[in-house]
Amino acid sequence: MTNTYSTGIYKRISSNLPIILLFFSVLNEFDFNFLNTEYFSFNFAYILIFYYNLKKKDGLGYGAIFIAGIVNDVVVGTPIGLSSLFYLLICGAAAYLRNITLRPNLFKDWIFFLITLLVINSSSYMLLILFFEFEVDYFYILTNTFFTFFLYYFFSYLFNFLETKIIGRIND
Amino acid sequence: MESSRDDFVIAIRSAFIKTGATQRFSLIGLIFFSIILIILGNFNLKFIEYVRSGTQEIIYRASYVVSGPENFLKNINLATKKHFNFYNDYQKNKLELENLRSENLLNKFVIEENLRLMSVINDYLIVSDEVVAKVLIDKQSVFLRSVIVNKGSKDNIKLGMIVLEGDYLVGKIIEVNFLTSRVLLLSDLNSKIPVSIEPKGIQSILSGTGNVDGIIQYLQEKHKTKPGSTVYTSGSGGLFKAGIPIGIVEDMELNNESVVSFFSDFSQLRFVKIASYSEAKFDISGKAKEIERIKAEALKAQKLAHELSIDKKKNLKAKIEAEKLMLVKDEEIKNLKKEIQTIADKKKQKNQIAIKNEHFIILEKKYSRKCKKNFFFPKLYKVGTPEYKECILNKGIK
Repeated sequence: MTNTYSTGIYKRISSNLPIILLFFSVLNEFDFNFLNTEYFSFNFAYILIFYYNLKKKDGLGYGAIFIAGIVNDVVVGTPIGLSSLFYLLICGAAAYLRNITLRPNLFKDWIFFLITLLVINSSSYMLLILFFEFEVDYFYILTNTFFTFFLYYFFSYLFNFLETKIIGRIND
Repeated sequence: MESSRDDFVIAIRSAFIKTGATQRFSLIGLIFFSIILIILGNFNLKFIEYVRSGTQEIIYRASYVVSGPENFLKNINLATKKHFNFYNDYQKNKLELENLRSENLLNKFVIEENLRLMSVINDYLIVSDEVVAKVLIDKQSVFLRSVIVNKGSKDNIKLGMIVLEGDYLVGKIIEVNFLTSRVLLLSDLNSKIPVSIEPKGIQSILSGTGNVDGIIQYLQEKHKTKPGSTVYTSGSGGLFKAGIPIGIVEDMELNNESVVSFFSDFSQLRFVKIASYSEAKFDISGKAKEIERIKAEALKAQKLAHELSIDKKKNLKAKIEAEKLMLVKDEEIKNLKKEIQTIADKKKQKNQIAIKNEHFIILEKKYSRKCKKNFFFPKLYKVGTPEYKECILNKGIK
């Protein structure tokens, strides 16, 4: 009985792990900023959303992503709805890639992720500068984009390992 | 060509419009909802403000709880660093303490002097309300360098209040909720503060760089700052109280702009002071009146002194004139005396002449025949001549 109960909890947690990770990252602004390394930052939420929408579309719901975006806006201090919009655009890009891909290839996903990142970050930069009169460090965004792109490869392997070996879900 | 365009349209439609078995919402619907949220956020409607404030309160608290593990890691990292730097810090602090002790006495003297001078020039005093707040979240995002503190409108926190760590300026309040507030740090790109760079007293604007330091902007070529100069708030514009220490000008320059290293480490903020300052015109009971009274008395005394000086001048003038008059009078008296003497002499002479004449008339009656020339005595004197007169007075020829 206890064994069945604990297995149920484990299954529940493991099936909702992407959502937990997403909310943990947006509430905590998960970017290793405590290391105080200048210019080192990456957007973990972008990696997570892109990966799960591309590979395991059942792992993350659009509603959860939308709410995570709002949470991120509140924590970071950007206009409410902005992160949601970009998170959902990433979802759209990933869904498009999934629809047009016949033979999945990590390298191609990686390059597509770079294009998506550049479009998303340029749009956010322009919106913040032109419409919301924020002053944003361009170089900082560029390095953030670079590290997010660079670390996608690593996290892709990590998530894959988590999904196949620990949770036991197979790629879509 | 036709089929590839169809594939693209089908893929896009499938990605954005289809909900699927597991997705409850369509992507395009949520995207539109996000855009509506962004647009609504720009309207300052009361309802939206309440919703926003409530959402922020919940998310800030949740974020504080979720940040626990990262804060724990952060503290471990800090403790390790501190442990390794302990000896060096001790040596540095020892040296600094010695320097500070020697400077302390001088500072005390300067403070006393300042207070005295302020009261002399009737300058304003600053009254302040301070609230100590705990930093809940210090997530430094790409877009905003800010922290969330656990004091809000419930504790009378208002927009624009300044935030200090110890005596050093950290930032200002830019968002107030019921229980929490957001502090825009000085290092943020959007932070612009009027500053004064001492010892020269150069006025300028300090802007954040988005990193750990700030830069001095809008500085003329002739007003070049020296490394090691201290940066204080200037108080211009009335946003901040003047003289709050901010940082030190570094030895390096960024695009010909001086880099300022802040006194506070913004990544280590735990507790901060939120303060508001207001200018009070020297209104400590009685002091202002006392000064007014003294001023009035001083003015009166000055007036009297002025009048006195005028009187003195008049007196002096009168004295000089009197002396002049005295001199003139003396001269006149002398002349008059002379004249009197002359008149008296003349009178005396006249009297003598009159006496002489009387005596002559008496003697002439007696001795006229002894002196008068006539036929018989041709050798005698003719009447009226001086010889005749002498002859009469001598009672005849001797």
